[in-house]
Amino acid sequence: MNANENLHEPLVERALVGFDLAAEHHIAHCPPCQTEREKVEDALRQFGAANREYANRSESFYEQQAARIRAAQQESKQKSRLTMALVPSLVVLVLLAVALLGKAPGVRPAVVTPPVQQTDSDHELLLEVERVIQSDTPRALEPATLMVEDSDGNRPLNRTSDRKESRSNEN
Amino acid sequence: MESALTSTVGAAAQKITAEEFDALVRRHQRRVHRFLLMLLRDPEEADNLTQECFLRAYQNLSSFRGESSLETWLLRIAANLAHDHARNRRAGFWKRLLGFGDEEEDGPAARVPSGTASPEQLLLAREDVRAVWDVANQLSQQQRAVFLLRFVEEMELNEIASALGLQVGSVKTHLFRAVQTVRNKLRDLR
Repeated sequence: MNANENLHEPLVERALVGFDLAAEHHIAHCPPCQTEREKVEDALRQFGAANREYANRSESFYEQQAARIRAAQQESKQKSRLTMALVPSLVVLVLLAVALLGKAPGVRPAVVTPPVQQTDSDHELLLEVERVIQSDTPRALEPATLMVEDSDGNRPLNRTSDRKESRSNEN
Repeated sequence: MESALTSTVGAAAQKITAEEFDALVRRHQRRVHRFLLMLLRDPEEADNLTQECFLRAYQNLSSFRGESSLETWLLRIAANLAHDHARNRRAGFWKRLLGFGDEEEDGPAARVPSGTASPEQLLLAREDVRAVWDVANQLSQQQRAVFLLRFVEEMELNEIASALGLQVGSVKTHLFRAVQTVRNKLRDLR
């Protein structure tokens, strides 16, 4: 094929892909392109025929395939019927479960009581702290304080001045 | 029969009886199966996906609006199924490893109709078919689908476009490239 024929190449493809007036017109007047087109067209035609022959199956194959499709279709239909039947039942069950949970004993008190208990314990803690502050002695040291008071002949301690003295001695 | 069935399905997208569905399967199963077999080159998968294709069609009958023919619609479902199947890279890996992608001894080339051709002509024809098959194997799946629908199923460009959800211009482009590759391959043979 010479360079001039190479220029015609796209026209052969265009004619083979679909009806193309310009390509058809050229090929009608160009013998090398006609030959080329026939050659490729022939190969493609044989390819199509060989593939159709290759893919062809016996009648029993298609019968069995149709039977399998029919069975799958029936199964699909039954599944969809089952789903349609189950969905309302499931909805009712879920609603019942929600209603039962809402009325269940112990749920409401459990929700309400803890804040009250929390308030009481906070209040008690505050009272305790106040009592300790008022006694001016940490609770853990109270027994020791009592011993000191006993050894001093029941003289009440001026705790603040004592602490100051001990600090100055340390320095 | 088909027109009645098509209009029944298309106009209504209503319920279809078991008999009507069976008739639909029998009318179109050969073409759907052949298209899937050519596209996937795996007889077992082609059989499975043909079954799946008709099942999907049954389940989605309400979405068929009759804008294209029923067969075109079925081929579109088949092409989508094949596309999804091809995305399974693991399956592709095993097939490549086991050499299923190559044409088998009993492949299409061995099925060239002998007719009145001489043994030499038959041999040349088989070589040509094998060369075209090789080219088809190298095409992308969409290009191969276009190529097969055109030259095996002998469908019109607008039908191919409708079946694959493409513009007619895209179909032409795919075909142009495929035919160009076939032509180059045939030239290398001689």
